[in-house]
Amino acid sequence: MKYSYIKPRKKTILFAEFQLLLIFFSITISMLFLTYTFLLFKDYKFEQDRVNISEQRADINISISKMTQQISFIEKENFFAERIYTKNTVLKESIANLFDLVPQRIILSEAKLLESGLILYGITPSKDIYNFMLQAPLRSIFHTTYNSFYPLQNGWFRFVSTNYINEDNKELYRED
Amino acid sequence: MLSKIFGFLYHKIFVNIVISRSKIDVYIQLCDSKDVVDEVHEDFNTLTLNQEMYDFIKLYVDESPYYYISFLDTSVSQGAVPTCSYNDMSIFYDVSSSKYMCYEDKWAYYTSELDLNSLQKIYKKIGIDFVFSPFLILTKFFKEKIENNLAMFLLIDDRAVSLMIFDNSELLYADYIDIENKKDFDGISTNDEELDLEEDLDLEEDIDFNEDIDLDNLEAIEEMGSFDDLGDIEDLDSFEEIEEFSDVKEIEKKIDVKEQEKNLIENEGKLNENYQRFLFVQSSVSSFYKDNKYKSKFIESVYIADGVNVSSDLKRYLEEEMFLSVYIRHIDLAVEVCEIAKVELNEV
Repeated sequence: MKYSYIKPRKKTILFAEFQLLLIFFSITISMLFLTYTFLLFKDYKFEQDRVNISEQRADINISISKMTQQISFIEKENFFAERIYTKNTVLKESIANLFDLVPQRIILSEAKLLESGLILYGITPSKDIYNFMLQAPLRSIFHTTYNSFYPLQNGWFRFVSTNYINEDNKELYRED
Repeated sequence: MLSKIFGFLYHKIFVNIVISRSKIDVYIQLCDSKDVVDEVHEDFNTLTLNQEMYDFIKLYVDESPYYYISFLDTSVSQGAVPTCSYNDMSIFYDVSSSKYMCYEDKWAYYTSELDLNSLQKIYKKIGIDFVFSPFLILTKFFKEKIENNLAMFLLIDDRAVSLMIFDNSELLYADYIDIENKKDFDGISTNDEELDLEEDLDLEEDIDFNEDIDLDNLEAIEEMGSFDDLGDIEDLDSFEEIEEFSDVKEIEKKIDVKEQEKNLIENEGKLNENYQRFLFVQSSVSSFYKDNKYKSKFIESVYIADGVNVSSDLKRYLEEEMFLSVYIRHIDLAVEVCEIAKVELNEV
C-alpha cells in the first residue's frame, strides 16, 4: 500500500563517483585503444619499409651485378685499348724504324703491313745496294724474307720484298 | 538488478523534514540493509530552504545515491474523509483540485494539488520523494488504539491540530485545524497580552454547543456508569504527566502569590495557545455532532499525539470542559515520518 502523495524519484548509481569511475575507465580504455592502433600502424609502416628496403636491396644487387659486368667489360675494353695502343705504338715505331732503315738511295713506292708480315714495293739503283743496305736489317727483324727484282729501262730495279715473322714467334708475342 | 546490487553497497539516507511555524526540523537517518547506522536531528530557524539547511542536507545526501527526502504535509486544504469512493468524496471536499490516497480501502486522506506542486517547487533544489499526511502519521501512531476503540485522536504539532474520530478502525470524522489561519479567520488575537483567561472562560459559556456536550456527557455517564475504563493506560505518557501536574500543584501552594503571578505571565502565551487549541477542537467536535454528513457517535476519550510538549492545561480543558478521558503520548514527528518513509520504500 502506498502512503505518499508523490512517487519517489528514481535512484541511480550513476552519480558522482560512479560517473568519475566511468570517465576514468573510458579514458584509460580509449588511451589503450589509441596506443594499440598507433602500434598497429607503426608495425604496418615498419613492414612496408622492410619490404621496400628489401626491394631496393634486390634492385641494388641487380645493378651491382650489372655494374660489375660493365666494369669487367670496360676493363677488358681498357685492356684491349691498351694492347691496341701498345701495338700501334709498336707499329708506329716499327714503321718509323722501317723508314729509318730505308736508305736514301732506295725509293719505296708501296708498303703493305700485314698481321705477321711486311711487303715493300720500290726501286733500287742496284741489287747490291738493296741487299746490303735494306735486306740485312729486314732479316734481323723478320724470320723469312723473299725478294724479287725486275729490271727497269734506266738500269734500276723494281723490287718486291715479302717478309714474314714465324707463326710460333707471333703466338709468343700475343701472349706477352 | 544492477541498482539492487549497488543498493547493498550504499547506505540508505532518509531525510525527513517537518515545517513548523518558526523553524524547520530536519531529521536524518542513515540505514544499511538491516540497522540504523547513524541519526541526526537539526533545527533551522527558517521557513524556506536556506543555504545553511541546504548545505546540511547536501552533506549527508552526497554520501549515497540512495537518499529519500520526505515531508510532512502542511497544506491548509488537507483532510480525511470516511470514504474511499471517488463519487462520495465530493460531498466532503472539492475533489477536482485535490489529490487523495486511500487507506486500506476504508477511508481516504487528501491534500491540495496546488499546495503539493508549490511544495515541490519550493524544495526543487533538494527534491522531494515523499509527502505524507499528518492523518496517516496519527493513524500509524495510534494503530492499536484505533482498532479497538471509539475515540478521538489528535495530532498536535506546532502549526496545526489533526483531528480524527475512529470507531473500531472506521473513520467517522476528520479535520485539519491550521492554528495560524484559524486564528486570523476566527478573529482570535495572537497577542498574548490581549487575551485574558477569565474572558476566555466567559466566551466558553457563550458557545451553545457546550450545552449539548454536557447533556450528551450526562447521558453517557448514566449509560456507562463511570469513566474508569481507561484501557491501556500503562503504555501512555499521561500517567507521568498527571503525577507531574500534581507535583506542580503542591509546589504552587508553597510559593508566593507574586511568584504565581509571574509564572502565570510566563506561561500565559503557552496557556493561551493551548486554550486556542482546545477551542478549535471543541468547535470541530461540535461540527462532527451537528453535521449530518457524519455518523455521529458520542466520544468519551481522546488520545493525543503530542508533538510540541503541550502543557497539562489542554488536558485539563478537555477533561473539565468536554468530560473526556485524555491520554497523551509524546510523538517525534520527524522520526514517525522517517518510519513511514521506510515502510513506503519497501512497498515501492
